[in-house]
Amino acid sequence: MLRRLQGILLALAMTTVLAGCGISVPADPEGTLQAVSEGDLRVGVSPDEGLADVSGAAPTGPLIDLVDTFAESLDAEVEWTIGSEEMLVVMLEEGDLDLVVGGLTDQTPWVDRVGVTRGYSGIEGAEGRAIVMFVPLGENAFLTELEGFLDTEVGP
Amino acid sequence: MIAYHQFGRTDLPTEQQQALKKAVRWEYVTISYTIVTIVLVAFVVGNSQAMRTAWIEDMLSLIPQIAFLIALIFVRRRPTVRHPYGMHRAMGVGHLVAGVALLAVGLNLGYEAVSGLIATEHPTIGTVDLFGQTIWLGWLMIIVMAVIVVGPLIYGPAKARLAPALHNKLLYADADMARADWHTNAASIVGVLGVGLGLWWLDGVAALFISLGIIWDGVRNTKGAVIDLMDQRARTYDDKHPHPLAKDIVEHLRAQPWIRDAAVRMRDQGQVFHVEAFVVPRKRRVPVTRIDEVSESVAEMDWKVQDIVVIVCSTLPDEADRGAAHARLH
Repeated sequence: MLRRLQGILLALAMTTVLAGCGISVPADPEGTLQAVSEGDLRVGVSPDEGLADVSGAAPTGPLIDLVDTFAESLDAEVEWTIGSEEMLVVMLEEGDLDLVVGGLTDQTPWVDRVGVTRGYSGIEGAEGRAIVMFVPLGENAFLTELEGFLDTEVGP
Repeated sequence: MIAYHQFGRTDLPTEQQQALKKAVRWEYVTISYTIVTIVLVAFVVGNSQAMRTAWIEDMLSLIPQIAFLIALIFVRRRPTVRHPYGMHRAMGVGHLVAGVALLAVGLNLGYEAVSGLIATEHPTIGTVDLFGQTIWLGWLMIIVMAVIVVGPLIYGPAKARLAPALHNKLLYADADMARADWHTNAASIVGVLGVGLGLWWLDGVAALFISLGIIWDGVRNTKGAVIDLMDQRARTYDDKHPHPLAKDIVEHLRAQPWIRDAAVRMRDQGQVFHVEAFVVPRKRRVPVTRIDEVSESVAEMDWKVQDIVVIVCSTLPDEADRGAAHARLH
């Protein structure tokens, strides 16, 4: 038993050492956060009245502004893709998108196929819905960065 | 003294009564503690397969305790014409139920872990907002698991100490599971740490490790319960050796001047044994009072052997335990 406890302590010590070497916890298995920082942020938009309008040349709305501010905080250029929810989810799964926004709520049925943020009802145009965003499954550093950003922008 | 015509016993000597009282108290402590941990883990369980598996393991660990407390109600009932052996087998039934439940859920969790690994499902663990701070949920999972690891290390050994005094295999199995409980918590911590470091597969591997533990518990308990219900010869509370009482009884019988040879068939009914003693007398005639006397004297040897039948015969059955052949038989 003592040996096992030692094993746990060793694991904890290793974590600390790795953290000291510049690996932050949580990390992205596919490195999304690193790829988008000072790079391209590929965002899918599913149209929603009041949150994301795609009738113009470029998408507009409160969610679009929010994503723009997020991209700015990462020095990233936003690359928009407009499509249906299912199409965007598949693109996210296949690694062709980094983020999906739209009229998505915390009741979303896609929860097994994409990473889902917490619900934010403080977003303008949410009208009482708890709005979520999708990220690729398991990209926990990116998800943590996004949720931290949303917490400060629109409140938890 | 218990009259001969009363089969079995449902009351216990003082030492066993006290041990039983303590065991019941520990079971209630364990159940309360486990319910608190289940609620606590519910807040942080998230998308980690290892956490989910550990959580379900927590819920499963309630089954043996509840089975023990329910079985106790029945074990205390006196034998009647309808139930001439009493209801001691309730412990065995509880043991079997616990074993099968563990096995079924363990297999299911193992399958989920493996299929998650094969499908390369990356566990997604986000953040929580705690007092205005955005904190990675993984840290909270690790803290909760590190805190609740303590309980089983206290109540596990406490119950393991009581099981031999009560000769109760269900209690022993329960204690044994508690002893392994902290592996579960430790494994889930490793899994979550793995996710934190970007090693997504470590979560599934930890979940698999935990479910293998549950499957093993299930197999062992089911096997033990089934072979006891099928009347294997009585063994010690940990199933490691044939119970030494069989040999003691045979020696006690052989020591009687009127008995030439003796053997017993002894089965475990739960906490107590059912003994059939075969005796070959030296003379062709045996006064019935001798048989009454000898069965009473056997019953006085140990609180577990109140339910004894003495059968006079000309030759001993081959399958009966002759005591001397003890070492050779097992």
